[in-house]
Amino acid sequence: MAAKVEAFAPALTPDGQIRRFDIHQMIQHAVLAVSFILVVLTGIPLKFHEWAFSRWWIGLWGGIEVTRTIHYIGAWMMVAVSLYHLFYIWYSTAILKRPFPIKMVPSLKDAVSIFQELGYYIGLRKTMPENDRFNWKEKFDYWAIFWGIPVMAGSGFILMFPVFFTRFLPGWVVPTALVAHSDEAMLALTWIVMVHIFFNHFSPSGFPLNKAMFTGKVPANRYRREHTLEYNRLMGIEPAAKKDNENKEEE
Amino acid sequence: MRKLLLCLTGIFIVAGGILIFGATKAYALDENKCLACHGTPGMTKTNGDGKPISLYVSEEAVNTAAHRFIDCTTCHTSEPHKVQTPLTKLSLAQKCGTCHQYQYKQHQSSVHGQQLARGNSDVATCVDCHSPTGNPHSVIRVLEYNAPTYKKNIAQTCAACHNDEKLMANYGIVEKVYESYMRSFHGKAMQLGTYEITQLDKATCTNCHGVHDIKSADDPSSAVAGLESLAKTCESCHSGAGIEFARGFLGHRDASPDNIPAAHNAEILFRFLLVTVLSFGAFVVITAIIRFSINRWREEDGG
Repeated sequence: MAAKVEAFAPALTPDGQIRRFDIHQMIQHAVLAVSFILVVLTGIPLKFHEWAFSRWWIGLWGGIEVTRTIHYIGAWMMVAVSLYHLFYIWYSTAILKRPFPIKMVPSLKDAVSIFQELGYYIGLRKTMPENDRFNWKEKFDYWAIFWGIPVMAGSGFILMFPVFFTRFLPGWVVPTALVAHSDEAMLALTWIVMVHIFFNHFSPSGFPLNKAMFTGKVPANRYRREHTLEYNRLMGIEPAAKKDNENKEEE
Repeated sequence: MRKLLLCLTGIFIVAGGILIFGATKAYALDENKCLACHGTPGMTKTNGDGKPISLYVSEEAVNTAAHRFIDCTTCHTSEPHKVQTPLTKLSLAQKCGTCHQYQYKQHQSSVHGQQLARGNSDVATCVDCHSPTGNPHSVIRVLEYNAPTYKKNIAQTCAACHNDEKLMANYGIVEKVYESYMRSFHGKAMQLGTYEITQLDKATCTNCHGVHDIKSADDPSSAVAGLESLAKTCESCHSGAGIEFARGFLGHRDASPDNIPAAHNAEILFRFLLVTVLSFGAFVVITAIIRFSINRWREEDGG
């Protein structure tokens, strides 16, 4: 079991692909995605309550009591999967003695990458920046969720149990939690739909469905293009050879 | 066999016809045949002041009204043609009060009733809330879906006056009570709910402010005057709710530096985050789309 789990060390698989995610990461993403969709489907009509569509939509589910229950189920799923994720990191580092997933930590290089990538898009650079295991968008997504889930869960539980929380917290937390919950939800939803879905499924390399997160594997040539630094390290390619490659491409 | 089928079809059509065309027919008790004359649209008389008064009673409305089985003479006396007219809001309410004594007494103690006694005709009396048209002949029961007093319709019924800025300004009510209610959890639950009976446990105007005995929020005897009585009112549904729970209520106003500043500041913070983060995201995606399209176009051109 332990040998198969390659949480923080991608490797070439026999079919010429690169294993990027292990089963735990795939489950975590799947549960997070499903719970996110559930809370969005049942939460958005509450924010846009004046739309006739919202009334129709909630009626379709069977009334606000049903959508409220589903929203709660989605919320508990999301909290559970977040705890699973934290436990997974703790277990794999503290118990299995694997290296800490340092690749996810933002660095100065990411800030540079943002400008390089934007430079490429607006025509100031000839190439995309080279990425290690995670590019800045992937790190942004991850840390946005790392900040977003505590905000959503904290405010959400205050709204779920307002009587309980106002027993020991001041009353203003309830309307403040509502503002935070509603606005952070819009932020997350818009970012996921606009940036996350676009770059993973509508960009030329991913279209129409980037299966990496669902199979855990990425074709080697795509990995070389999108995660060049790690690919080279994995394959034992020297940085000098990489330079050669780049020159060839630019010709 | 064919005859039998034909017969059955015929019976089915006739039965369906009776069901469809007969179902809507309800008849009011009209022992003295008042409607024979008063059921004619356009029937008027001129009263002492030379003003025309309509004497028409819609048969359709009265046939579905709550009082359809009470004869006209119950309210209009056994000598209806000798009754002094016109009725005023006050005399009409008194008339209802002859039977509905408890509700009438409560109304007398309410802010509406107190004003009514002073001759203010702006206020809501019985028919303003209990009749969809304001006509006493079409008063319908509270639990009918189209009743203005059906739980789901109450906010709209109150809003008929309380959402009228000009009218409310006369009484110093500056809060947008209807809009803020509809924005609240109670309002959303009501709005997004169906017309089913489960709606009855959701809070609307009357749950906090009272029904027939509705008080001004400034009146110390009101259920929403002061934090302590407000908390008690919250507690009638949110069991265990305390003072802090009530303190979290924005009070039909927007969050502002004077009204729960934390919520106001959160609004500002999140507006800043939404604008900056999302415009950055939009910029990345739009430039990426343009770049990817150019790449594709060049590839195809080159190929």
